[in-house]
Amino acid sequence: MKRSAGCTATALALAAMVTWPALGQAQEPIRIGAPFELTGRFAAYGTAGKRGVEMAVDAYGKRVLGRPIEVKYVDVQSNAQVTVSAMTELLEQERVDYVIGPITSGVVSWATPPWRQRKPVWLVPGSSSTRNETELGKEKYFFHPYPWDYDYHASLTAMLKHYIGTGKKLAIVYSDGAYGRAHLPHAKEAFAGAGYRIVLEELVREGAADYSPALLKVRQARPDLLLGLVQTADAILLTKQAKSANVGVPYLVGTVYAALNEWQKATGAAGDGWLSVTSYMPNLKRPGNPKYPKLFPSSDDWEKAFRARYNREPEFLDPLNYVAAVMLFMAIDRAGSIEKDKVVAELEKMDEPTFYGRAKYTKSKGGTLHQAFSAMIVMQRQNGKSVVIYPPEVAKGKLITAGP
Amino acid sequence: MGLYVQLLVDGLFLGGLYTLAAIGISLSYGVIRIINFAHGEFVMLGSYAAFWLATLYKLDPLTSLPLVVLGGGVAGYLLFRWVIRHVLEAPHLNQILLTFGISLVLQNLAVVLWTGDLRSATSVVSYAAAELGPVLLTFSRLIAFVVAVLLVVALLGWLKWSELGRATRAVAQNQQAALLMGIPIRFIYALSFGISAALGAAAGGLLSFLIPLSPWMGFPLVVKAFAIVALGGLGSVMGAIAGAMLLGLSETAVSYVLPGGSGWAEGVSFVFLLGILLLRPRGIYGQALEEQHR
Repeated sequence: MKRSAGCTATALALAAMVTWPALGQAQEPIRIGAPFELTGRFAAYGTAGKRGVEMAVDAYGKRVLGRPIEVKYVDVQSNAQVTVSAMTELLEQERVDYVIGPITSGVVSWATPPWRQRKPVWLVPGSSSTRNETELGKEKYFFHPYPWDYDYHASLTAMLKHYIGTGKKLAIVYSDGAYGRAHLPHAKEAFAGAGYRIVLEELVREGAADYSPALLKVRQARPDLLLGLVQTADAILLTKQAKSANVGVPYLVGTVYAALNEWQKATGAAGDGWLSVTSYMPNLKRPGNPKYPKLFPSSDDWEKAFRARYNREPEFLDPLNYVAAVMLFMAIDRAGSIEKDKVVAELEKMDEPTFYGRAKYTKSKGGTLHQAFSAMIVMQRQNGKSVVIYPPEVAKGKLITAGP
Repeated sequence: MGLYVQLLVDGLFLGGLYTLAAIGISLSYGVIRIINFAHGEFVMLGSYAAFWLATLYKLDPLTSLPLVVLGGGVAGYLLFRWVIRHVLEAPHLNQILLTFGISLVLQNLAVVLWTGDLRSATSVVSYAAAELGPVLLTFSRLIAFVVAVLLVVALLGWLKWSELGRATRAVAQNQQAALLMGIPIRFIYALSFGISAALGAAAGGLLSFLIPLSPWMGFPLVVKAFAIVALGGLGSVMGAIAGAMLLGLSETAVSYVLPGGSGWAEGVSFVFLLGILLLRPRGIYGQALEEQHR
């Protein structure tokens, strides 16, 4: 009896020794770095990114491969030095396995040098600047589930050709930051290629207090279209001053800012008539994925869950970051390992319908190896509401001219 | 010709706003000899006060301006009495660190209370404009300029003709002599700091319908305001006015005259200011101030 008990104890001890490391690994969290712009001038973008990732972690049951998902959110403060130190800390001290974020083009470019030190799998659900595409697109571990700036201008010009034809005069106001300068050549190429004549290119300073001189030049040029290649804070000033200066341009064209709640609230009636491209907006009534109804429900159901949790309307970046994070978790599950090459292989194979669009990484026009969600819709602010006007199959209204 | 008149008008409008943002710094330095890095946050708080009064109580930012100015003045007075007065005798570095710390606290408080979202108020004059021949007058900037001029004139009048104003100038000129004359210099300090904050809040109230608001809007403004104050001569109210007008006009001139000038305006203007400081290292009114101290 004693001998039998001794054997059992020894067997249990041996079993514990063999399984302990595996058990330990099973409990060890999967660390994901989430450097977002939670404060500073790009806070609206970063906080949307964080909300999307939070919802994804919860929707996935907070575990992947039986291990808890641990997301390290850090605030990069929309600041270059803070971004570099936050990325370095995530990669060197926290030793995260994957990185999601930041969102905006300039911040992504600041985060790039520290990322290069270790090169974990990096999802950037934002950043339209092709400067980042040139810098990062060919990297094997870089994933970009968001359109590049040439996708913006391709959608805008297609919409304009559809409604007003070609041969119109265009004035461009662009900011001196990474955003404006990166967009300018692609905008010129797309608009000139579509048959629009560029009569003015006016540079403005990011964060300036007065755009009156630039707008006076626009008035004098008498264009049919005004294209504002600036980011949200500057776009608010441009919009309000364009209204008070009565620039008299029939078509006011923005990039993505006119789709943001922040811009819409700040500009109020002055925003009427402005056009915007976006990859998502509420009430599109898109179906979910019947194979994964909990992870990819219909857009209505997802928006309902979002509103219940955050008591606000989702922005285009909320569902984008959600879908991008869920895709990553699914890839880790399918790989059966956190080894990055296996996860990359699974991300490359993934092809799932979602309420955000088809979740499939392919090669972009500009050479990004892993590009998803390049399709965009065009909306216009009409009487204080956002109305989808292009492409025709999802349009709820037609293009109208901006009021006086 | 029309272009140059437009340039002059827009330059003056911008200079008026810069004056209001900078004059408070000049006043507090001139009297208390403290460089207040939290001044930009008074501008920010003034903007938010005007924004919330407009949003919650439908008060036009121009209507609520007296309330905003009063609130800013009381807040500045209390901040001096409770916090700033403790470092009056401390080294300049400690004073700078304290005001910088206050600035960070106020910024973060604004983030906690109102989030980092960009906002903007709308006034009845926001989108009104008149065309006088080739010149466009936007009423929002015109009225902001007029209000700024009125406030600056009121400050100068108060300094020149009121008893407390004369006492304030006396403290600015020679603190020891003022003390010997029986002037309550601690009270004058607190009053000057309060007026300085009120002017910052007034600038904020006017900016609330002109530019986007955020908890971080104060810092870039205060950097520009320090450049203006240095150009005009540290501590000189007249110098701050001259510096602000010069900066407003030079920025607007560069914007209008150079191709893509709006993008170069700040850079070229600061080079221009640097040139003036090389010629007059004490600033435009700095010499006069120094002579007054002797």
